[in-house]
Amino acid sequence: MIEFVLPSLGADMDRAKLNCWLVKPGDTVHRGQIIAEVETDKAVLEVECWDEGVVEELVLSPGPTPLPVGTLLAHIRPLEGAQARPSPKEPPMEEADIVPPSTRPSPRRETPSPPVRHLAHELGVDMARVAGSGGVGEITREDVRRAAATLIGQEHRVKASPLARHLAGETGLDLSTVAASGLAGLVTAKDVRAVGQSPSAPPGPAVESTEPEGRAETMRRAIARSMARSKREIPHYYLANHIDLDRALRWLTARNDERPISGRILPAALLLKATALALRKTPDLNGRWVDEGFRPSDAVHLGVAISLREGGLVAPAIHDADRLDIDEMMASLRDLVNRARSWRLRSSEMSDPTITVTNLGERGVETAFPVIIPPQVAIVGFGRVVDLPVAIDGQPVVHPVVHATLAGDHRVTDGHRGALFLDALDRLLQEPESL
Amino acid sequence: MNKEQARQTIFEVLGEIAPEVDPATVDDSSDLTEQLDLDSMDYLSWMLGINKATGVEIPQRDVSRFLTIEGAVEFLVAHSG
Repeated sequence: MIEFVLPSLGADMDRAKLNCWLVKPGDTVHRGQIIAEVETDKAVLEVECWDEGVVEELVLSPGPTPLPVGTLLAHIRPLEGAQARPSPKEPPMEEADIVPPSTRPSPRRETPSPPVRHLAHELGVDMARVAGSGGVGEITREDVRRAAATLIGQEHRVKASPLARHLAGETGLDLSTVAASGLAGLVTAKDVRAVGQSPSAPPGPAVESTEPEGRAETMRRAIARSMARSKREIPHYYLANHIDLDRALRWLTARNDERPISGRILPAALLLKATALALRKTPDLNGRWVDEGFRPSDAVHLGVAISLREGGLVAPAIHDADRLDIDEMMASLRDLVNRARSWRLRSSEMSDPTITVTNLGERGVETAFPVIIPPQVAIVGFGRVVDLPVAIDGQPVVHPVVHATLAGDHRVTDGHRGALFLDALDRLLQEPESL
Repeated sequence: MNKEQARQTIFEVLGEIAPEVDPATVDDSSDLTEQLDLDSMDYLSWMLGINKATGVEIPQRDVSRFLTIEGAVEFLVAHSG
């Protein structure tokens, strides 16, 4: 019997409330399927199951009590012939090592065909919740139709975004009474807030007046814990380099000119892709510090710092970022930002970044000096793209330039390795067509 | 699509991206990204949403017209047929 436990949820998030189950006893679950929703100080997270089998028993019911990471949540009976993954016995930070990257569903392998995606969109089905039955786990049209039928059949569960569910839970609001404005009848946070603000709202505390403040405070505490630990434990070193983006941005503009708006690439996607590839040359910047030692990671799970409109910050991972082409990188980034801002991140995205990138140039900052997120051992910062004079063949010309910075952990690397990384990053961005 | 319809669509999509925005407080002729603290991903998502809602394609050369509500309304009225 497989023990399904509350997985690691990222740095300094060691407990979570079980908000709801998305499966019931007797259901077959597949690797990568989202089976529960939990809530930490920082976010509502969708929890994936990394085993295959049939749900035997849901040990715990949803409730307001925070549960420590590692709490037994369910028993899963392995499918006949399937290899059960050993139960995690390691401390929370090592969950990502327990699930080797090679066992994760590859983004390429899982990508369904455009007609299947279109059908899912039409039927309001979240692809992440669909188990694929096609070759190598590919999601078929039949899988999507089945998932849509299940959604309709779940009369007891109103379709609502995690944030909407959280807001409703805070005030005891019955979601089935809320008018839905989202796709395929999904109740959104905006809908719940609208009820809280409506003069005809049922009695109870106003949603808007209580929730954002409490949330901002708990998130600030979580960030404070993580950053204080970083500054206390990690001997940072900092390096910076100006990188000429003339070629990269020309290439990007020419590419975007030919495409409809849905196919356009932002410069951020280019910077992320170059970062992921540069790490192949300096793998000692990519991994985690665990038990007084460095554990390199074969996979590049690139954390992306995303600021939230309510205040605060999350840095979930784009998995296997070095293996995505530039269009896939852009699609992943857009998906991740949208889900982070609507509270629909997954537990693995929060628990397993192997390095993080922060792009503060968006806010006009010319140079960022970022703080490493434990247990990672490096963080990359990008500032604003500015026009600066550069020397080409001995002549001054004005080019768009970005200030790239690296903060590294001196317990693992020295400035020399960091310099090699920045040099590799620069070289890659001079050949954008190869990214 | 007339000006009023265009404006309504524009704010409906904006509401999905920045739910806290009150249309009454937005200055139609000022830079939106600065007024509403939108980053490049918000901005792209907003234009994508408008494209989906209206079917109007926004060529790269016209993206700068969407920096203000005024510019976006004018573009939609001119191109929505």
